[in-house]
Amino acid sequence: MTLVFNNLRKQYGANVAINDVSTDFAPGLIYGVIGPNGAGKSTLINMTAGSYTVSAGSISLDGRRLDGMKKHQIANSGIARTYQNIRLFDQMTVLENLEVCAYPAEVRNVWREVLWPPYGRARAAARRESAMEILRFFGLEGHADAEAGSLPYGRQRMLEIARALAMNPRVLLLDEPAAGLNHHETAELTAKLAELRSPERIMLVVEHDMDLVMTLCDRIVVMHHGKLLFQGTPAEVQASSDVQLAYLGTDNDIDDIRAAAQDRRAQLGIRARRRS
Amino acid sequence: MSNTSTSPSVKPQASRLVAVLVLAAIVALAAATPFLPNYHIRVVNSLLIYILLGIGLNIVIGYTGLLDLGFVAFYAVGAYTYALLASPQLDLHLPFLLIVGIAAVLGMITGILLGIPVLKLRGDYLAIVTLGFGEIIRIVINNVDWLTGGPKGIARLDKASILGVEIARPVEIYWLLLVTVFLVGLFVWRLERSILGKAWAAIREDQDAARGIGINTTNAKLAAFATSATIGAIAGTIFAASQRFVSPESFTLQESVLIVLMIVIGGIGNILGIVAGAAILILLPEVLREFAEWRILFLGILMVVLIIVRPAGIVPRTFGPEKLIRGLFGK
Repeated sequence: MTLVFNNLRKQYGANVAINDVSTDFAPGLIYGVIGPNGAGKSTLINMTAGSYTVSAGSISLDGRRLDGMKKHQIANSGIARTYQNIRLFDQMTVLENLEVCAYPAEVRNVWREVLWPPYGRARAAARRESAMEILRFFGLEGHADAEAGSLPYGRQRMLEIARALAMNPRVLLLDEPAAGLNHHETAELTAKLAELRSPERIMLVVEHDMDLVMTLCDRIVVMHHGKLLFQGTPAEVQASSDVQLAYLGTDNDIDDIRAAAQDRRAQLGIRARRRS
Repeated sequence: MSNTSTSPSVKPQASRLVAVLVLAAIVALAAATPFLPNYHIRVVNSLLIYILLGIGLNIVIGYTGLLDLGFVAFYAVGAYTYALLASPQLDLHLPFLLIVGIAAVLGMITGILLGIPVLKLRGDYLAIVTLGFGEIIRIVINNVDWLTGGPKGIARLDKASILGVEIARPVEIYWLLLVTVFLVGLFVWRLERSILGKAWAAIREDQDAARGIGINTTNAKLAAFATSATIGAIAGTIFAASQRFVSPESFTLQESVLIVLMIVIGGIGNILGIVAGAAILILLPEVLREFAEWRILFLGILMVVLIIVRPAGIVPRTFGPEKLIRGLFGK
């Protein structure tokens, strides 16, 4: 089972955001997608999840074409995602944010659920239990009945990943999961994400935090100006002179990139505090 | 918005007291109504019809977050279904329950038909288009004289009867409405807590993220429109049966706005809120009747005050029927 990009292209008029990217992703591995701002990392995620249309080329999972499907069909094919700017169902409870993911599987029996209370109770209990299991994994069980929008920023990030996981996805797309988190929270997140590695699951992580990417990921995809520049293990990426020259530049530039990442984190942190 | 709607954690003791008081008031009112003079029973009946309409419209506005200003169209569909199938107009005299069934199906179909073109619209745009639909239906009814009697309406509707029991006097209509409100309320309350209700809430909160977790928003929204319209049509048949006369005047934009106001003032997305909102907007004008032309002013002032003091409505979203029941048994 693999996720395949074949000559994938995204174009806005004359502006090419993704330029003929071809690669594939194997289950059981965590892929990091790195590159400077505007390299097309988020665009890749948005196209895979169906938030953006594909201009040319194809995306397929297990040989099934995903491009051209509707967004909910893509989700039901096993693709789950988180967003760069957290998008929870703010006024629903933490628990409900996860329970609602059962919709595609259970909507067929909704009349039975409404009209036959014993069945309804059984379904509600089952949904609650599987949601609680995921909440416990993320340490959110104590907040189950809180409104999602009232959680602190770091918890909201965790909840968004928990919601994606509640879909029991085969492909998990994480768009800057560490953005706005402090050092402690980032370490906690890295540990949790490592535990999510499973032989059936493909994980794609777009991230600016190099420490997270280098510790967590098995493979790294380097994007540059919409093109796939390099793909390899973290060690290979760090050793590659191509990457050094074209993206990371000299050692000084690495520091620049780190500083930029810090900056971004600080900005997001400010926004996070305003939100909560 | 979000900080106003989060309810302060009420102490269990206090919430129990509130629950007992609210339930006692509702039961007392319901039990006392049959002993009131006919005029007052009619007011209560009109209150119950508006509660029914509020419960229906709230599915679209409160649960799914779509501002629909044309709800009265479905009310009209139900009322005219009864008027045409149980009157000398077409010389048809079908039994009441059969007509309720037909009206429910017609309501559902119109709900879906009017829902399809507005699927991509939200907020103000949706409000304007649905407002247009509501007016179109009224104007059509007003102009198809040969069928609907035009502005004169249709008179001399049959008395409703269920299994041979005639339902025509205000007190009989009252019992019919009470049972209907209870059953529809129970149904919608269970719907709200079902997986479909949760999907509606997800669409209300973030439609795109809802699609991202695999919700077919088209179907879920059409289900909301259809259920809501069905309830509106059922309310319409009972209204027609109780008035035994229908005319386009009963289905103006003002009615739609009144129902929306009930929902907003009572507490959006909450069945108990609708009861509170309907009680204020329907009973208060009656209470203030002796002040004649001043009562609209009073109502206006009250609304301004409420919106300042309780922008999320009188009853918090979290204070639903389950809180009442739990409060009663002290769980």
